[in-house]
Amino acid sequence: MELFRLSAGQAAGGIKSREFSAEEYVCQLLERIKKVEPKVNAFVTVNSKEALEQARALDKKIRDGQDAGALAGVALSIKDNICVKGLRTTCASKMLESYVPPYDATVVRRLKQAGAIIIGKVNLDEFAMGSTTEFSRHGPTRNPWDISRVPGGSSGGSAASVAALECAASLGSDTGGSVRCPASFCSVVGLKPTYGLVSRYGLVSYANSLEQVGPVGRTVEDVAAVMNVIAGIDEHDHTTAAVGARPVYSAGHDGGRRQQQQPQLRVGLVKEFVEGADPAVAKVIHGAMDTLAKQGCRCEETSLGAVKYTLASYYTIAMAEASSNLARYDNVRYGFDDLNPEGYEWNSYFAKARSNFGEEVKRRIIVGSYVLSSGYYGKYYLKAQQVRSILRKELKSLFKHYDVLIGPTMPILPFKIGEKIVEDDPLKMYLVDIDTVVANLAGNPAISVPAGFVAAAAAADGGGLPVGLQMMADEFQEQKMLDAAFLFEGAAKVQRSPEL
Amino acid sequence: MAAVTKDQVKHLGWLARIELSDAELDRYTAQIEGIIKYLDKLDSIPLEEAKPIVAKKKFSNLRADEPAAFEGDALGTKYRKDGFVKGPRMV
Amino acid sequence: METKIGLEIHCQLTGVKSKLFCSCSCDYRGKGANANVCPTCAGLPGTLPLLNRKAVECAGMISLALGCKIPDEIAFYRKNYFYPDLPKNFQLTQYNAYGITSIGVEGKLEYGDGGSKSTRIRRMQLEEDPGRLVYESGSMETSIYTLIDYNRAGVPLVEIVTEPDFSDPKDVRLFLDKVTSIIEHLEVCDTKLEGSVRCDANVSVGGGNRVEIKNVSSFADVEKALRYEITRQKTMASRDIEVKAETRHWDDARKVTKESRTKEEEQDYRYFPEPDIPAVVLGSEFSSSVMQLMPELPDARKDRFVLDYDLSAHVAQVLINNKKLADFFESALKTYHSPKEIANWIVTDLMGFMDEKEERLFEGLKIGPEHVADLAKLVDQNVISRATAKQILGQIVKTGEMPSSVAKKTRASMIDDAGALAQAIDSVFQSEQAAVQDARRNPNAANFLLGKVMQLTRGRADPKAALELIQKKLSEPSS
Repeated sequence: MELFRLSAGQAAGGIKSREFSAEEYVCQLLERIKKVEPKVNAFVTVNSKEALEQARALDKKIRDGQDAGALAGVALSIKDNICVKGLRTTCASKMLESYVPPYDATVVRRLKQAGAIIIGKVNLDEFAMGSTTEFSRHGPTRNPWDISRVPGGSSGGSAASVAALECAASLGSDTGGSVRCPASFCSVVGLKPTYGLVSRYGLVSYANSLEQVGPVGRTVEDVAAVMNVIAGIDEHDHTTAAVGARPVYSAGHDGGRRQQQQPQLRVGLVKEFVEGADPAVAKVIHGAMDTLAKQGCRCEETSLGAVKYTLASYYTIAMAEASSNLARYDNVRYGFDDLNPEGYEWNSYFAKARSNFGEEVKRRIIVGSYVLSSGYYGKYYLKAQQVRSILRKELKSLFKHYDVLIGPTMPILPFKIGEKIVEDDPLKMYLVDIDTVVANLAGNPAISVPAGFVAAAAAADGGGLPVGLQMMADEFQEQKMLDAAFLFEGAAKVQRSPEL
Repeated sequence: MAAVTKDQVKHLGWLARIELSDAELDRYTAQIEGIIKYLDKLDSIPLEEAKPIVAKKKFSNLRADEPAAFEGDALGTKYRKDGFVKGPRMV
Repeated sequence: METKIGLEIHCQLTGVKSKLFCSCSCDYRGKGANANVCPTCAGLPGTLPLLNRKAVECAGMISLALGCKIPDEIAFYRKNYFYPDLPKNFQLTQYNAYGITSIGVEGKLEYGDGGSKSTRIRRMQLEEDPGRLVYESGSMETSIYTLIDYNRAGVPLVEIVTEPDFSDPKDVRLFLDKVTSIIEHLEVCDTKLEGSVRCDANVSVGGGNRVEIKNVSSFADVEKALRYEITRQKTMASRDIEVKAETRHWDDARKVTKESRTKEEEQDYRYFPEPDIPAVVLGSEFSSSVMQLMPELPDARKDRFVLDYDLSAHVAQVLINNKKLADFFESALKTYHSPKEIANWIVTDLMGFMDEKEERLFEGLKIGPEHVADLAKLVDQNVISRATAKQILGQIVKTGEMPSSVAKKTRASMIDDAGALAQAIDSVFQSEQAAVQDARRNPNAANFLLGKVMQLTRGRADPKAALELIQKKLSEPSS
């Protein structure tokens, strides 16, 4: 049996019922990783030795009849900007080349407590700044559906490793769409929780008022299962909200039953998102809406006028916060080993050490410093924050009429690696985030679910390129959103795995 | 709509302690100017009424004053002496 | 020439146990380098600040004690700049330029005799202390590397900024003494700990440019530094030389202010609100609950001493000038309630045996409040004379023995046996006949004879009884 094809739920069930051992399961995954990595390059660090040790220890626990946890034996990859104790965490940057965290992120600790196995750290755009996973020291990650194309970003490694069957699920981070974008490009499910639902302790900060850790999986049910383990207030993060200690989400048969008991799901298609999209993408989204209507949902087009200000607001805030969050990387307390401070004057040392940031990071730090500099606070940062409250107000009134708002996750199809970089126009790259930044600015939850494939002449496997459907719900309404996503997933039946 | 000059970028590089080569200064200046011009969009938004959202926390929910030592070495650099971190000269 | 002085006082909240944003201990002095550090205060990637409730409470106490207004909500800002002692290369502090968010504003403190002087407090804010830089060779200039210790990084500080209401360095000293007294009484800061209080001063003369003086290591030195700097500025003005607006460092060894070594470019701190710390809602009950927790302030305590214990204002002032002294006094009262007597013993006699340096007042002193109470009781009950008591005090400060046991041991009980006294008196009358004649005419001169009796009996005679007998004898017809 090809154990690597199992969903997280199936793997957990099989290990618990002793159909197969966790060790067998992890072994198969490690073999799969070896086979597929030369094509995909999703992993920065593969945790083979420890993963096997943990698997063996878990098997023993199960044999002894002890409770092994809700995700016992399930192998997850962790984006390399989330701290795992004892495993190097590089953020795909030279600046953290030799950094080994002495502590676990809260989300990692909770996963471990639930019996999950960390199979490795996966690739990202440096410090999570990017939408393609091309801005990485470890080379670009490739889209498993067509390895000449980008997997999306910045959590490209997370989505690719899940799509390529290298692990059952993954934890990524989403600041402006970084979990949903690669989920869409790789045809897997990616969720960004409501701001404050999941702890950021241990997530290396890029833009702290915008980001959340989010799960990636092959099914909505798997994503819900991971949410159950990681969500909930954390004393180590004062921005986590007290919405009941540990919320519990369900998707799958329970959800289906509940859905039938519930009133008709009200769906709004945000026209601003579709209008700006590639026609091929728009077509798939309209098809998705039809699918939902056939399932009994009340679907109609609606408008979110504030969308036109969102990119300017997002990038102002993200870059401003980034310029400050990345100030600590001066190679004095931790960083990389090959620059001895002896003999340098401190300003020169800092400047020299920090010249090792990648280009995109340097640009964002500089723009961020600009918008925060003397006299500009009111013009940029403050205004950008005001846009957020306008956006929230508009969304709140929309959510009175709709349960979920939908649109394409990405306005375009996955493009060739290097295609956008060669244009040397960073601003053009930023424009692809238009559909995703809304949820980060307003703080509400959003999920990307595979919606279909578009035939592309250049597509390697002939099966087409993935399109993701994004759903957004009101804050802390993850359950409603998961219900809608599960409903769509069951009806659309898009899920399959690429030939690799 | 201020144009962003090479000198400004150089100064910002200094503020952010990032050493930029001449080539980088040349390339980045135009790109950064483009980005700032885009962000200037914010000027056109009617924002008089909007108040920034501020997250709040009750005083009683702050951390209790209980000391606890961290087990292990929090510092990662290999440049140490007698426990101190060795850093660059001050002058 | 008009002199304007403003102060920026930094006070560590040594009364708080853990750091401002993490659970590391605040007690960093004497620990090995970087032994008091955690991922959060070391600024490791992924760490988040967790605001300490008690620190906010203590800062609130200081705010109220200085007459400040406390806003309903407080917030923290990032002050962005690079420096090797700053783990995150930004300092978490408070900032009021975009709205009042700091723990106190618009206060006023009265000081000086009977509160005749006052200074306005512009603002008070909470912020974190940076780490420490150490130079192996002892000098910043000759070291090829800098040694950095982050033990202190993250310790809570309260910054108190005054309006430039001072014009005389002497007043600054009085003001700082009062502030010291207040924070000691609130038990939020032990000012005797090295580096726990620092004060920078801004001074301008005759409307000229303002000079900031930094690196003054103690409150006592602030007055000296100001005097030097004011003289320097006045001298320059008299020679028509313009005083530069700059930061100068106080050189403690040479007792002068010097131009700052490191030419700091004008700093652009790019302040913005800390996204990881939500605005803290204090609510209207905060002030009242903090008031209830507040220990008695020095002025209130002094008034109570005068009212309840009938002490003189002067004695009361001496006691409350040092909180430990006032505590010692009230502790002694618990054993034996004789306020005036005990206060007197402390202020007049005991202080003579104490270390001159305020921070070591009680150092080496082997006695406690119960000893002084015991002594006072013995004198009150006429068991020993005042002179004897003074002697005993001198002894016990080194040995720690209780006065009663010493008195018993040396049989220092007064001789009040009429017969023994009579003997001594007779002896004195014999040898001091001129004085006796004097005393017969002038009754006050009897004290001289008493003195001689005390001398003869080595202070053991009961002075009251002896005096009575002397007077009786004087009134008898001469023999």
